[in-house]
Amino acid sequence: MLLLLQYTLIFASVLCLVALGGCFSEHSGVINLGLEGIMVMGALGGAVTMYLLPGDGSKLVIVLATSLAAILVGMLYSCLLAVASINFKADQTLIGTAMNLLATAAATVFVRAMNTAGNPDNVSSTIQYIQEKRAFLKYIGGFEFNWFMLMAVVLLVVSYFVLYKTKFGLRLQACGENPQAADSVGINVYKMRWAGVLISGFLGGLGGIVYITAGVSEWKFEMGVAGFGFLALAVMIFGQWRPTKIALAALLFGMFRALSNVYTGIGFLAALHIPSTVYNMLPYIISLIVLAFTSKNSRAPKAEGIPYDKGMR
Amino acid sequence: MNEKAEKKSFLKNPSVQAIMTSLICIILGLLIGYIVLLLINPAGAGEAIKTVLINFLSRSSQAAKVKALGNTLAKTAPLLMCALSICFCYKVGLFNIGAAGQYEAGACFGLYAALAWQLPWPVCLLIAGIAGGVIGAISGVLKAYRNVNEVISGIMLNWIMLYMSNTLLAKVKDPASPYTLKLSAANPKALIPNAGLNAMFANNKTVTLAIPLAILFAILIWVILSKTKFGYELKATGYNKDAAMYAGMKEKQNIIVTLAIGGALAGIGAAFLFLTGYQEWSTTQTSVPGMGFNGIAATFLGGLHPIGTIFSSFFIQSITDGGALIDKSVYPSQISDLISSLIIYLCGFVLFFKFVINNWIDKSTKKKEISKVTGEAIEGGDK
Amino acid sequence: MDTAYAIEMVNITKRFPGIIANDNITLQLRKGEIHALLGENGAGKSTLMSVLFGLYQAEEGVIKKDGKEVKINNPNDANDLGIGMVHQHFKLVQCFTVLENIILGVETTKNGVLQMDEAREKVIALSEKYGLQVDPDAKIEDITVGMQQRTEILKMLYRDNEILIFDEPTAVLTPQEIDELMIIMKNLAAEGKSILFITHKLNEIKEVADRVSVLRRGKYIGTVDVATTSKEEMSKMMVGRDVQMSVDKEPSKPGESILKVENMTVASKLHSNNAVKNVSFEVREGEIVCIAGIDGNGQTELVYGLAGFEPLVDGKITLCGEDITKTSIRHRATHGMSHIPEDRHKHGLVLDYPLEFNMVLQRYFEPDFTSGAGFLKRKEIREYSEKLEAEHDVRSGQGPITIARAMSGGNQQKAIIAREVDKEHKLLVAVQPTRGLDVGAIEGVHRNLIAERDNGRAVLLVSLELEEVMNVPDRILVMYEGELVGELDPKKTTVEELGLYMAGAKRNLTVDANTSEIEESEVVDVERERKEEA
Repeated sequence: MLLLLQYTLIFASVLCLVALGGCFSEHSGVINLGLEGIMVMGALGGAVTMYLLPGDGSKLVIVLATSLAAILVGMLYSCLLAVASINFKADQTLIGTAMNLLATAAATVFVRAMNTAGNPDNVSSTIQYIQEKRAFLKYIGGFEFNWFMLMAVVLLVVSYFVLYKTKFGLRLQACGENPQAADSVGINVYKMRWAGVLISGFLGGLGGIVYITAGVSEWKFEMGVAGFGFLALAVMIFGQWRPTKIALAALLFGMFRALSNVYTGIGFLAALHIPSTVYNMLPYIISLIVLAFTSKNSRAPKAEGIPYDKGMR
Repeated sequence: MNEKAEKKSFLKNPSVQAIMTSLICIILGLLIGYIVLLLINPAGAGEAIKTVLINFLSRSSQAAKVKALGNTLAKTAPLLMCALSICFCYKVGLFNIGAAGQYEAGACFGLYAALAWQLPWPVCLLIAGIAGGVIGAISGVLKAYRNVNEVISGIMLNWIMLYMSNTLLAKVKDPASPYTLKLSAANPKALIPNAGLNAMFANNKTVTLAIPLAILFAILIWVILSKTKFGYELKATGYNKDAAMYAGMKEKQNIIVTLAIGGALAGIGAAFLFLTGYQEWSTTQTSVPGMGFNGIAATFLGGLHPIGTIFSSFFIQSITDGGALIDKSVYPSQISDLISSLIIYLCGFVLFFKFVINNWIDKSTKKKEISKVTGEAIEGGDK
Repeated sequence: MDTAYAIEMVNITKRFPGIIANDNITLQLRKGEIHALLGENGAGKSTLMSVLFGLYQAEEGVIKKDGKEVKINNPNDANDLGIGMVHQHFKLVQCFTVLENIILGVETTKNGVLQMDEAREKVIALSEKYGLQVDPDAKIEDITVGMQQRTEILKMLYRDNEILIFDEPTAVLTPQEIDELMIIMKNLAAEGKSILFITHKLNEIKEVADRVSVLRRGKYIGTVDVATTSKEEMSKMMVGRDVQMSVDKEPSKPGESILKVENMTVASKLHSNNAVKNVSFEVREGEIVCIAGIDGNGQTELVYGLAGFEPLVDGKITLCGEDITKTSIRHRATHGMSHIPEDRHKHGLVLDYPLEFNMVLQRYFEPDFTSGAGFLKRKEIREYSEKLEAEHDVRSGQGPITIARAMSGGNQQKAIIAREVDKEHKLLVAVQPTRGLDVGAIEGVHRNLIAERDNGRAVLLVSLELEEVMNVPDRILVMYEGELVGELDPKKTTVEELGLYMAGAKRNLTVDANTSEIEESEVVDVERERKEEA
């Protein structure tokens, strides 16, 4: 049971971070379907940093450097979405999909090239970080506490504050709801949308590194992040684009994911003989059902997905 | 009309522009891929990008060449079907990102019908099409009656169908591996017949009727969209659903029918791969198969035209296979995935490229011709 | 140099591809005056104001503030110079509160945190000073249009703007709200604010403005004192010729009943009340009946109910003797109803289709244009389109293959009218058919409507333009808050009387939503009266 709690919390942290990322992007008016790709790139940045850092170094340095690298790479990668959808008014669905495919391909190419450069016989796309990963963990009794859990909670609170209590949040939301109105009071819609997308890169990249260090100590980049970016999207929708509800949705969906991993260790669940695929499927089915019943009065930002053109009034 | 004006109108032709922008995307994608190869190892980069591009032609013997071409064609057929699915829906204003899930449904039920029920191939094909169609229709119903964006429901269904396929196909899998049973052993009559086509490709057994059938589907979709009343309605709905409603078209019904047809196309596409015995379904896969997403690449690269997608599908598949042929000890084969995903990304800039081309044409013609004032004045107050 | 001008725009020229929107225009606004900017749709008023507000940059000309040349590159610059604008379409965020909308862009913060209480006090003080009643914490989506406009005015005052631009502010208001606005504007001017008032309504100019500048087709015509200039003179400046204040037509000869609407009730998409309440009326062949009223009083929903876009909550519609209450849009369109929709871009045309495909939008399925196997008859469609273009003088760049988007608004409208009039029909529903058209095109549309009537069709015209309401129809029905409140004879009534009905101040049709029986008998009475007259 402790294991279930631990997995739930760490998966919920991932989902919460990434969904908040999506939330910022969408509140600024840009649909971010490339979250999966941003996670992959963040994971890559973090994993490479851990690979390069000495495993016996200061724990604080490892945690900070890894997170920072993931965040930076995530933000850098999100620029692809920002340039295309904000400046060139490209189809956001198309760009998001391209980014997801591109991230996995690019990460695999990069890791392979890196591995092969180190050892000509190594053509795998796997990075190991057994020792470095320990820096993130702190054992409290039998419970494996991960610093990322704390980070997720802090960022959740910060996100809520930024979105609802600051000038920036007010302006960001105005751009997602009615960019013409925002423009008319002198808010630079392009800048605000860039900010929204970059924040989604920040949180998505961080979510990526949290995901690949949850439970495992090596990652095969050919696998991408196994749909977690899309699950985060479901969390965001289920959470109705609001940080508090997103946190709750992340916990619920995180629990389903955790169940699929650990249900065999829990007596009564194992006895039910439900295959793990069902637990994996459940979050998506629930989201779909919820969507079917709430979409008519959705709280989605009104102008999301519509490129803003100054000339059009 | 003088020569200059003719040249201008040639370049202004929408089809010509579509082809030009697609070529720009391809060239830029290849260029970036080449730069990446250079960064990894400059020595063999030129050779590697050439291999990616020419694919089967890089094989040594004539027989090996046609056999490799056969393999590429065998995989082009399902890709083309996915691209047609997306293209068809896009014309009606729907982004069928759920083609991947419809493809999974087709694979799942097509294979299950073949392996568990021992049905012959035409029936399996039909079942695959129906399965894909049903999944597409679910997205359609959710869109029409519950206002759920088809992109979101499509994404959810992609993952639901992935896990469902893994669950169901686990019942007909090879006990020793995660893969489903080989059709050639378990139910040969479920294999799509070669109809003599294999002889042309050095007896490549995976070259089947699926390839000409896929091309026929492309032509069929083109005819439906551009020549029929049904296509007129669908496109009108795609361009302006309010006007379509005003004209008495049944928008909701059209959305559902469109996604169902799109789903059926993707589902049949899956059958075109799995019923040729080209490969088996891995019941432990954790990511949505790329076919549906590559279909997006082929759709946009094909200029959103059913006939264009025939060529773009072949190109995408060809560079993917070409990637597998490069020297793996130096370069990762995913370089071709990188290039094709870059091409999709660049397709997002198509409007911008067209704008640049048009600007360039206007400038070059203005220099030499006295510009005539076009009679069509846009009324200032009319937006 | 006279620096009594708050702002001056000197020799402004702004071009768009294919058109000169502003051609050498000069506009001088004195301090503390209300200066009207008069012009028809498309005269270049909005473009000029967009230049002043920094939304567009002029190719030529200068802008001076207090005699000094200034550059306005974006709305921020305009705001810094104290220029504020109430746009025709409000620039408000629907899910924000009034207060949030007012402070957006000029937020007060302390350590990065929004200081809402301070802002609220300032807003309340301002609203009391100028008599602008609003609830600072109400959400925009829940308040009336009038209150939304007051929010927009408060936005300017909150920014201490000295130069206030009102872009056609009265179009969306009831007469009472217009009166209030006029008082507010006078108050603002009295407090030293300089006001630019964009309009094409002469009465309003007469009422509040000190001076008026007139634009016509992108050109500057002149500036005159309002007090010493008559309405007729201003109107002449605006249109460049005498306005024909009446439309030539024979008296109507109404025949059989074509459209009969009984107790129609339609739900609203905006609020929980019904948009159309218990409406009953009749249109006979050979007459034009006009539904008049201020925008947003249920006319749109009434037409949606008639055309079958929206289901009725209650009531019955009879077309040529057939009960069509529950039939589809297609059924109504093929059984006698033609419909010129309110929004030609939203409903009337598939803008990305060529003209020829738009010409058969209501008929493409007929055997004339589709073969038995379901294939389009392209040749017949082309010929039909060419025929309609010739008959109705629809001009386009490339004829039938012109993409509808590339056509001018007037020609788009002509194409729609051609399509709807040529189709077999007994009833023509024309909703704001002259919206956004210039004078010449408007006359053409009016001739079309009268020709329809004279050919024995029943015409239901829905209009917001008083001039049109007074001149075109044979009977006027006034709609107010979803109800029909009055039936008037355009030959006997006056604009003033019509205005009273439109504002809900007067009614001669008593409709009690709770007791539909009484209401029905009342309507019957009115109808009987009318028949006796005829």
